[in-house]
Amino acid sequence: MQVNSIIISESNQPKFSDLLAHPDVKERWEKVRKYFFLRESTYDMSNRCNIRCDGCYYYEGEKQFAKEVDDVEAWRGLMRAEKARGITYVVLAGAEPSLVPELLEVCYQEMPLGSIATNGFKKIPESVGYKLHISVWGNDETSLRIRNARNLLKKQIENYENDPRAVFVYTFTRENIEEVKEVTECLVAHHCKLTFNVFSAPVGYSGNLRHDEASLRRTRQTMIELLHQYPDNILFSVYNAVAHTHKKGLHELYRCSYPRQNPSQDIGLGRSFRQYRTDLNWDRSVACCVPDTDCEDCRHYAAGSAVVTARLYRHANGLATFKSWLDYVDTYLAVWVMGYEKGENLCEDMIEPP
Amino acid sequence: MPASQDIKGIIRRVAEIIIDELKLEDVTADTFQPDMDLVDELGIDSMDLATIALVLQDEYRVTIDEDDYPKLKTIRLISEYIKEKLSVIH
Repeated sequence: MQVNSIIISESNQPKFSDLLAHPDVKERWEKVRKYFFLRESTYDMSNRCNIRCDGCYYYEGEKQFAKEVDDVEAWRGLMRAEKARGITYVVLAGAEPSLVPELLEVCYQEMPLGSIATNGFKKIPESVGYKLHISVWGNDETSLRIRNARNLLKKQIENYENDPRAVFVYTFTRENIEEVKEVTECLVAHHCKLTFNVFSAPVGYSGNLRHDEASLRRTRQTMIELLHQYPDNILFSVYNAVAHTHKKGLHELYRCSYPRQNPSQDIGLGRSFRQYRTDLNWDRSVACCVPDTDCEDCRHYAAGSAVVTARLYRHANGLATFKSWLDYVDTYLAVWVMGYEKGENLCEDMIEPP
Repeated sequence: MPASQDIKGIIRRVAEIIIDELKLEDVTADTFQPDMDLVDELGIDSMDLATIALVLQDEYRVTIDEDDYPKLKTIRLISEYIKEKLSVIH
């Protein structure tokens, strides 16, 4: 299948009520809008990691030097304060959260909705009921080469096979596009769910993982082929593929709404989002979901989950575009929210981002 | 067509739409304070506001630009915005 060009661009601005007059659209809209209450912030949990990866975001910039706070009561206090200012969803990340399970427990006790970004090497206790995003960067040979981790995929599957919390996140780099097929086959054989990410270079990164236009095109084609091949296991949509492999990055396409790129503090992420470092401080000027990413190159799945979702208004400019947006939001919720089940995608056409 | 396009009528209709869209149960169009800060006091967020904007666009056939959302913090400000847009059309 060739999927090299965008085929539909809509701008006929129908009435919103006309879009919702389609029963499948109305049903999906009502399904996803129940989650509009989610207000996220992110938290670095530890400045330690048990592996070291080429192109890692955490070990760029200043955040890696922040002091670690390992006092569970300090974290409990932070979670309570976050709840009090309206945060309803936490993303626990850097460097490797599985190394501080006692902090994960206390966060979960205080804030029941959230997710953890982990390399999957060390199992997170089942009592922590967050979604777990397990990072996969290729097969075991590649993981050994760029992550210095032996038998990583095997270990990840051992830890999280049949775990409803787990979503394996395959990050496409310029070098591992073909490998995704064998990795996907392996994950599907073990009944795992997976989604796709696109490597987004940290500031100043000049290594081989950074995408170019040709690798983005190949990535898009591969994503869509696999999505059609394994619709029950892959949490993704055609529009996800389009948005994250476009030659323009997410910021240029959608205008990033995280504080780092958004001076407005009136409403939305610019108002509520914080990115806490391990010392429990935060800095508005660098706050985004994956700090120290080069914004020009940002195609990160976490960024898109907020930035594309926030652009409801502009996606209501045509039926196919709105369906694509609903597919995107449905995917985002299935990846990030425990218990949310993804529906069948509504739009199989490739839609130009509005 | 909306029942009334004077500012009082718009304020009332905007209140009704917000109550309906956000499924608010402890307020009516009569008791909704038009100067209440929708973000600070009611806790609405950007997705709620985008939804309300789309419904208001249908109702009044005006365009509400997403860049203008931050200005639309109260029912009165939303209503004045719509009134101004309507005056340009008519």
